[in-house]
Amino acid sequence: MIRIAAVGDVHVDKDVVGRYRPALEELPARADALLVAGDLTRHGTPEEARCFAKEFGGLAVPVIVVLGNHDHQSDQQDEVAEVLTDAGITVLEGEATVLEIRGHRLGVAGTKGFGGGFAGACASNFGEREMKDFVATTERYAEALTNALNSVQADALVALTHYAPVPETLVGEPLEIYPFLGCYQLGRSIDSAPTALALHGHAHHGAERGRTPGGVPVRNVAHPVIKQAYNVYQLLSEEVDATLIAVR
Amino acid sequence: MTSDTDLEAEIQRLLTEHDRIAEQGITVHRRDHLVVLGGEVESAHRRDEICRQITAHFPDVEITCDIGITRAQAPNEVEEIS
Repeated sequence: MIRIAAVGDVHVDKDVVGRYRPALEELPARADALLVAGDLTRHGTPEEARCFAKEFGGLAVPVIVVLGNHDHQSDQQDEVAEVLTDAGITVLEGEATVLEIRGHRLGVAGTKGFGGGFAGACASNFGEREMKDFVATTERYAEALTNALNSVQADALVALTHYAPVPETLVGEPLEIYPFLGCYQLGRSIDSAPTALALHGHAHHGAERGRTPGGVPVRNVAHPVIKQAYNVYQLLSEEVDATLIAVR
Repeated sequence: MTSDTDLEAEIQRLLTEHDRIAEQGITVHRRDHLVVLGGEVESAHRRDEICRQITAHFPDVEITCDIGITRAQAPNEVEEIS
């Protein structure tokens, strides 16, 4: 059994430091790792990143994050990532990491992702240079996720993004902004590997649960959606049950 | 001058682009002569700043604030993924 805590869109700044900490201090008893699905800060400044590191760093469980669009707002995303890394937080962008947890390997592949839309209402690589750049960005992030997911071998593989990989978890958002909330290419990337769970944020008014076309469970863990400090997901339950039966 | 049709868009952009707000998750709806704000933010300070900035930029607009503060307690349940 592996238990993963997850949240996104915490938008930490000075006024938020201390709000999450009591719940985060309980993490070792509740989960084996914490994944944060982007929008760690409000404006993406190193100062705000230090606030996030103070609030979410130094925990007794590994913390793995991707950045979100807010974390790019000040064009200082590299400095933000450096602050987080220096605080012992793993920042993924087109990369994967593997954690050893009680004999199981938990693989986490992450990217911020990008918008682009979904089947029937998606942007195309056509027309003005700006439009082609937009779609090229979508495809670049999706390809990075595909490569990251397929770069590791794990007993349980989790995809961590900020943007949504399916439209089901956007239900509740205005249809008009779906192309700015996610893209189908991320779902295709998730389906290209034996992914057990996909986590994303970004859609504050979206729904919590969905599935990729290939059947991978998707969870929108944006803080306003889950309405608590983090959700906890249990993976590899069958293996644990079998072990318990064998011991008895 | 901002037309009625554009008002919601103008407020939405203010909430996103103002450097003391940066909120993309606030809903803005017209109800008769009122503008009703919804959604959740991370602190009471942020909610109050939203109302303050809208009032400052659109002094003729009457607003009703239904913005909540997102709770941050630890969960009681675990979801088994299968």
